[in-house]
Amino acid sequence: MDLGLVIYALNLASIYALMAIGISILWSSVGMINMAHGATFAVSGYGAWIITGFMKPVIIASFGKTALATFIMASTLVGSALITGAICGALIYVLAFLPIHDKPNYPIRGLIITLAINIASVQSLLYIFGPRSRGLPKIFGFGRWEIWGTKIRFDQAGTIIGAIIILSLTLGWLKYSRRGLEVRAMMQNAEGAAYSGISRKVTALPVLMLTGALAGMSAALLSQTIFVSPTSGSVPLIMGLTIALLGGLGSVPGAVIGAILIGFLEAFIGSIPFLGQRYVMFSTFAFIIAVLIIRPRGIGGLLDDTRE
Amino acid sequence: MSDILKISKLSAGYGPLRVLHEVDLTVKSGERIGLVGLNGHGKTTLLRAITHMSGWQQGSIKFNDIEIGGSRSVGAGRRTPRLVRSGIAVAPQGDAIFPGLSVRKHLECGAYTKQAWKEKKQRIENVFDIFPPLRTLEHSLVGKLSGGERRMVSIGRMLMVEAKLYLIDEPSLGLAPKISHGVMEALWALPVTDAAMIIAEQNVNLLSGKVDRIVGMHAGRMRGEVGHVSLL
Repeated sequence: MDLGLVIYALNLASIYALMAIGISILWSSVGMINMAHGATFAVSGYGAWIITGFMKPVIIASFGKTALATFIMASTLVGSALITGAICGALIYVLAFLPIHDKPNYPIRGLIITLAINIASVQSLLYIFGPRSRGLPKIFGFGRWEIWGTKIRFDQAGTIIGAIIILSLTLGWLKYSRRGLEVRAMMQNAEGAAYSGISRKVTALPVLMLTGALAGMSAALLSQTIFVSPTSGSVPLIMGLTIALLGGLGSVPGAVIGAILIGFLEAFIGSIPFLGQRYVMFSTFAFIIAVLIIRPRGIGGLLDDTRE
Repeated sequence: MSDILKISKLSAGYGPLRVLHEVDLTVKSGERIGLVGLNGHGKTTLLRAITHMSGWQQGSIKFNDIEIGGSRSVGAGRRTPRLVRSGIAVAPQGDAIFPGLSVRKHLECGAYTKQAWKEKKQRIENVFDIFPPLRTLEHSLVGKLSGGERRMVSIGRMLMVEAKLYLIDEPSLGLAPKISHGVMEALWALPVTDAAMIIAEQNVNLLSGKVDRIVGMHAGRMRGEVGHVSLL
């Protein structure tokens, strides 16, 4: 396994980890499987596309083609994707959480409503923007580094570093802030959290906005490698959901380990000559099914009795 | 003395099951009440119904003359955080601990008011003074502690803010007699001049001489009250 393969695997893993952690945190704290995560991904990609398209002439006019201009472009792109994702999260809170969160069968109803939101927003994106893919400005440039004879593209390195920064910010927020403590308490024991005065209704909004922003971040990072299109959210959604299951719903370290495992598995299977890219999805899901048969709670998941 | 809690005609249950049958109970300020009864006769459900954790409920619950009861068929736990913040502290059955958080983080979770969050260091020290074994376990995960230590954490979390009404569900459940005596001592040391305390307990010996009244529950109904009793 050469270094290029490792970089490719880490690149995949960082996108998957951003998606899977969002789904995992949301499920265990709010109790909602967010099928609209893919829509959030696509919508924030388009949000970033519109805003960067609008800002590009302004930035070029005022800063020219300097390094500062590139930096401002990059922060505009990432910032607009994060903000669009957070707004999508807030919309999901209004549409799919507030009206039904104290009704019976809330997890199933939430699943159905968020799936409907997903389908509806993908169709509206198709209606408004058409099926054509859109390219976002390349914020990391087109160059590549040579390390030990391997070429590393800037966008791959940037994706990995960006994902690591955002993930550490998220984990630090969960670990050290008061709101993060409330979220973690709610993830581990909803009843105990209620007896500690932590309201699910109040905490759900920042959690949904955070996970939406994580989806927006992964959209911004993935847009550096491939294009933005209305249906671009479906594969990250499916991979994020299955990796969250693989890592154990509710376990952030499990989701990271799962994402790294799947990233390496995909890169490795794709590089074997007689298997190739055709077998990547097949082998990924076979691996996830095998792990879940041996260990139904996932890699880092809590046993149901521990959670009770 | 004023009534802190006035329950009248409270029925509650889970799904098709009716556990409480029109229960009446009045708790005055400064009282400690022992709630005794066999397993499955409604002690826990009564405490859960006060904080809206039962499956459904109907009937009036007045807490400091404010109506917090009412009819409800769904939404268990929806009003609980607000009730807790209004001054009902709960140490639930089974402790409801967070297995992946450390003892200190647990106690911080209990400090939900602004005042308590500011003074959290001092208040955590106070809890450590009440339960000295916790001091050495400050940074260990609660999921790895023993049953007695978990009970101390659960009650310690309840003690982080001053409440008007303390609801403690089976503080001696599953504990060795020596440890449960220690836990009970900590509860008796809690001042209740402005507040009240309801302790659900099966072991009447642990309550005798310490509580102002003992209320018996049988088959979801109140069965008699005894005043200050001493069995030993």
